Amino acid sequence: MSDKVKEPIRNKWIWIGLAFIVLAIVPWYWPKGALQSMILGFPLWAFVSTLFSLILCGYLSWLCLHQWHLVEDKEEAERRGEGDEG
Amino acid sequence: MKLAFAGPDGVIILILYAVVMLWIGYVAGRGQKSLQKSLSGYYLAGKNLGIIALFFTLYATQYSGNTIVGYAPTAYREGFSWLQSIPFMTIIIAMYLMFAPRLYVISKRKNFVTPTDWISYRFQSKGVTLLAIFLMLWGLGNYLLEQLVAIGHAVAGMTGGTIPYQWGVIAFVLVMLAYEWLGGMKAVAFTDVMQGVVLMIGVVVFLGGAFYLVGGNFADVTRQIAETEPAKVAVPGWETSINWFSMLLLVGFGAAIYPHAVQRIYSAESERTLKRSFARMAWMPPLTTGLVFLIGIIGISLFPGLDERGSEQLVGLIANQVASINLIFYWVMVLFFGAIVAAIISTADSVLLSFSSMLSNDLYGKYINPDASEERKVKFGKIGGVIAVAILLWIAWNPPATLYDIFVLKFELLVQVAPAFFLGLYWKRLSAGPVFWGMLTGAICSGALTLSGFGTLWGIHGGVIGLILNLLICVAGSYMTSVSTDHQRQAEEKMAMNL
Repeated sequence: MSDKVKEPIRNKWIWIGLAFIVLAIVPWYWPKGALQSMILGFPLWAFVSTLFSLILCGYLSWLCLHQWHLVEDKEEAERRGEGDEG
Repeated sequence: MKLAFAGPDGVIILILYAVVMLWIGYVAGRGQKSLQKSLSGYYLAGKNLGIIALFFTLYATQYSGNTIVGYAPTAYREGFSWLQSIPFMTIIIAMYLMFAPRLYVISKRKNFVTPTDWISYRFQSKGVTLLAIFLMLWGLGNYLLEQLVAIGHAVAGMTGGTIPYQWGVIAFVLVMLAYEWLGGMKAVAFTDVMQGVVLMIGVVVFLGGAFYLVGGNFADVTRQIAETEPAKVAVPGWETSINWFSMLLLVGFGAAIYPHAVQRIYSAESERTLKRSFARMAWMPPLTTGLVFLIGIIGISLFPGLDERGSEQLVGLIANQVASINLIFYWVMVLFFGAIVAAIISTADSVLLSFSSMLSNDLYGKYINPDASEERKVKFGKIGGVIAVAILLWIAWNPPATLYDIFVLKFELLVQVAPAFFLGLYWKRLSAGPVFWGMLTGAICSGALTLSGFGTLWGIHGGVIGLILNLLICVAGSYMTSVSTDHQRQAEEKMAMNL
């Protein structure tokens, strides 16, 4: 494998990061049944959970684009080759 | 409850949607005779889907009309703890990242058509293959049934009973079959673009209307709920948190290995297209289930005190009020309800196509008549699909009570196929015997738990308990089974990407 080849499952930091984000999304760490102050109409716990849900979206989207690179160069080179022939 | 726009206006819009779908199907299949003669041509659009078609077919397949009609009432009943619907739809992308990159490469090299192709190639075991086919067809069948029931309810509701439930289902099943037969996966993906766009716009406009009804201030809505029903705003208890974790596992693993989801990995024209589609999909949960969640919460303020049955009508109740704002909102609501029907169909067509492909390629092509031409295999799948729909329609006349319960049921069994992908792609020791017994034990365990009324134990879903058992058997069994180095070398070759 060359240095440019990237397969997400091979990078343990990706999954450690994911675990932390998921742990922040699920509201297990707040005092149960508490009524909290509101932020933008969301109770504090729900606001924090939503914020981390959005971070999860951004994180996964970034991973797809930047940590996944297996046959892209080969495929794109082949496509360009076909285009040139056509 | 009668919708304000039920009647001729609803009928006109539904006919319009049906005509557009048929037209797209016709255009997709026009002049492509070879389409019907090749399994990957018909079922995977020639493995050549570009970014727009691939993204929208992923989107429209994953988000059904049920996402709106079923999830808004759940948010209404559970309150803010239904925020979980955003991460559990997002986590599916994380699960894809665990196996899709490698599976895509191998599927191109070996020309896979169905998920079973990977399983039979990797494990070379009739038992594992047949059990996986059974579980996946079961899951797909249940899922399709749910969509058929939903089509009937949506059409009957939208036309105020002018088109009765049964006729609504039959009419739209015929439309769906017609365009699917004309253009296969290509028609399904192209109609998904239309269906996905109207769903996205519909949800945004619907939320806009709901906001208008409550005076545009969400903070007031929450304050009111905190006074009248504090439990829906307060920090949820332990069991709910455990249930969130469990739901993330169940939906994540289950939805990512849905046969039609796996086939979308195979259909991508390139790795670049696939990863860009997934990158966009990662942002869709807040824009879809997130907005539907807000609609449900606003519903608590607009229609307080509905019981479970009453809350199932929530989307219709809100739509009636939005439609009465003015004429523009009226027509937007008519279009929106048409979009819900279209969104249900966009999910049903993908499921049916996948179901047919497994009949064609797996049952007929692997066991009944392996020597048949691909054209004949495609034909078998088409006819088998119609027979399956006929059986499901017969069941659909007696639909179950609420939508959410059957949504969970289908994952319980399907998710048991997951280890064959998640472990099978990377771990050469994993052998057929333990995979078979793990899958079977997991399926029996989760099926029994659900059927005996224990859908969840301490907040953990039966399907997840079955999956944990399944994984333990796979891992422990593979360590205990002696596998020859020759066998392991073969497995390694199959898992390799040969970059």
